[in-house]
Amino acid sequence: MLANIEARYGLDQPLWKQLWDYMSNIILHFDFGPSFKFKDRDVNDIIAQGFPISLTYGSLAFVVATLVGVGLGVWAAIRHNTFIDYFAVTLGIAAQALPNFIMGPILILTFTLWLGILPGGGWNGGQWQYLIMPVIALSTSYMGNIARLTRSSMLEVLNSNFIRTARAKGLPMRAVIWRHAMKPTLLPVVSYLGPVFVYVLTGSVFVDLYFSTGGLGQAYVGSALTRDYAVLLGVTILYGVLTVFVNLLTDLAYAWFDPKIRY
Amino acid sequence: MTQTTRFALAALLSSTMLTGAAMAASHVPEGVTLADDQTFTYRVLDEHSSVDPQVVEDVTGSEIVRDLFEGLMNQDEDGNLVPGVATGYEVSDDKLTYTFTLRDNAKWSNGDPVVAGDFVYAWNRAADPALASPYQWFIELMSIEGASEIIAGTAEPGTLGVTAVDDHTLEVKLTSPLPYFPQMTTHATTFPAPQKVIEEFGEDWTKPENIVSNGAYVLTEHLPNERSVRERNEMYWDNENTIIDKTIALVINDENVALTRYLAGELDRTEIPAGQYPKMSQDYPDEATSFPRLCNYYYTFNVSEGGPEAFKDVNVRKALALAVDRDIIVEKVMQGGQPPAYTFTPAAVAGFEPPALEWASMTQADRDAMAKDLLAEAGYGPDNPLEFEMVYNTSDDHEKVAVALSQMWKSKLGVQATLANMEWKVFLEERGNQNFDMARGAWCGDYNEASTFLDLLDSQSGYNDGKFSNARVDELLENAKTADDTGPLYTEVEEIIYDEMPVIPIYHYAGVYMLDTDLGNWPVNNVEQNWYSKNLYKIAE
Repeated sequence: MLANIEARYGLDQPLWKQLWDYMSNIILHFDFGPSFKFKDRDVNDIIAQGFPISLTYGSLAFVVATLVGVGLGVWAAIRHNTFIDYFAVTLGIAAQALPNFIMGPILILTFTLWLGILPGGGWNGGQWQYLIMPVIALSTSYMGNIARLTRSSMLEVLNSNFIRTARAKGLPMRAVIWRHAMKPTLLPVVSYLGPVFVYVLTGSVFVDLYFSTGGLGQAYVGSALTRDYAVLLGVTILYGVLTVFVNLLTDLAYAWFDPKIRY
Repeated sequence: MTQTTRFALAALLSSTMLTGAAMAASHVPEGVTLADDQTFTYRVLDEHSSVDPQVVEDVTGSEIVRDLFEGLMNQDEDGNLVPGVATGYEVSDDKLTYTFTLRDNAKWSNGDPVVAGDFVYAWNRAADPALASPYQWFIELMSIEGASEIIAGTAEPGTLGVTAVDDHTLEVKLTSPLPYFPQMTTHATTFPAPQKVIEEFGEDWTKPENIVSNGAYVLTEHLPNERSVRERNEMYWDNENTIIDKTIALVINDENVALTRYLAGELDRTEIPAGQYPKMSQDYPDEATSFPRLCNYYYTFNVSEGGPEAFKDVNVRKALALAVDRDIIVEKVMQGGQPPAYTFTPAAVAGFEPPALEWASMTQADRDAMAKDLLAEAGYGPDNPLEFEMVYNTSDDHEKVAVALSQMWKSKLGVQATLANMEWKVFLEERGNQNFDMARGAWCGDYNEASTFLDLLDSQSGYNDGKFSNARVDELLENAKTADDTGPLYTEVEEIIYDEMPVIPIYHYAGVYMLDTDLGNWPVNNVEQNWYSKNLYKIAE
């Protein structure tokens, strides 16, 4: 019986052969091998089921965090030292102080238990009601960070010489902001957005577990607890590849935002 | 016909149909109005291991498998055997051959008849080293001829002592008599498997699009780590008595989230997180439910040769057992709805009739008075205090119980009990080598029959760490293996346990659930919590 099990997972082969087979299967066939825990599913199945879910609300959270964060930051900067600025800064810091593992319980208690308007978790085929709370929980703290970054960056840009020149030419404020100030403002923000995108996907581990979304995070934690090395390795490699890929995209985006950067 | 009348007529039609179902289904009491939506939603902690009956190894998976597949026998609400695919069985005089008669109207969900050969295939499959089933040992535990040899690799797979005499007769040969053998056929490992489907799809046969099953439900949806959905199997032989149309198992890893979602009305059943039972039973008295489980909690005396002299005196043992206020332990210390224990075997075990023992009905004050007398009789008192050490394995809960016990003995009897805790492995070794005065013990039954507990007090048992030895107990337990009616034998063993008190039963384990009031017929008294969706129903609110 032991021999059967070993043969099934290739554990009867010498170590170098196991490593070779594992690596070549991944590189040539995108095959991460069988799961050690689930007899009727392999790692590819598990990733194929969980990753689209994590990707869906991870991307949504990224979009929400970016749009709201940048909007809030810009608004605060152009209304510098007014009530709006204070409000936006307070909101940004509050959001930053609320990581997803604090937001999760707050959201569930408010919207599920007290108001009774949103389901307290699950995926249910990706219905929008099921997406709201995970997306909010995942995006708030990044949103706060982005807002603060954008605000300070925008303030710096607005005080620079070329903006003063643009204003002096008599350009309306709207055109100055959109055409001249936006690109340089976003440069430091973009360098932050790259890692954020990876964080919202990998950082979804807690959100996956707390809202039981069926996403990759649940499989990741579950595999660590049940010593399902194949799944653990597979998901880690996936996250790793994703990190490298997104960082590459960020670097390419720099060139567009700042013409001084050339590769 | 106007819109309203059409609706009214539809409602009328559906309610007649439902009433029809209610009248047909024997498990719905009269006067209960069934809800229109017969969907049962419950929480599970984790993704199940599999829904392959011969592969599944966890409770969550077994719950699903019991709905999807049906074995030879089923359990009723109290854990007693009722017919499943088999209408009944006969056993030979030497108790070594069981012959099951299979009903002729049992069908797979693809319409094929369920035949004896499906069981022969499944049981051989479970034993086959090629499948490497984590429950292979269960077939060996069933003592089926050839099981040990197949598992050891000395006999060919497929040669298990189970044969299909014809399509509706299954014959099983055992190597030794096993009074609880029919009970074991309610276990998922023994459920039939569709050979054709398994050979066609291989390991993918359990996917919703491929699976063929013979139970009251079929698997229709499965998103790992999120949910699995099973819906009514129209081919099931007892489909007309099945009321729940759809059962949804939602994976919710966090038990507090699960409770919140239950309170928000998303679930019909969830576990109550540790320590919250008193609050829940106060706030939701109709919903917080405690039910007995197949486990006991006790302290054992070391009555072996090398054990303390004091414990060789039955009066000392009885005095200590009587002075334990079990109500305080379950209500103030454990707070999990556990029933106090006055017998070694939990009362909820199927077919077990606890004897009417005097101490169970006494007040605690009477018990304490009796304990003082007995201890004085044994020669212990203020000038000659009883001293001993009690050991338990390291755990906060066990420590709390041990502290409570030692305080009770000290304040009531002046007994000096010192506490010692050990890591689990060390504890087992020390207890197994009789290096203790008094030690904690707990046992969870392997099957729903009293012998799984009482065998621990057999002088030959490997787990009889207190080395209690009573010829009559051994004889009764030996007789029980072949007796037709084991009830009186087990009752007598419990009476001897009370007279001799080799162990101090403290409480029996309990599980605590929140159960929605509109969920009907939950088998609270089934100690193994073997529940079947087909026996449940939703009541109109």
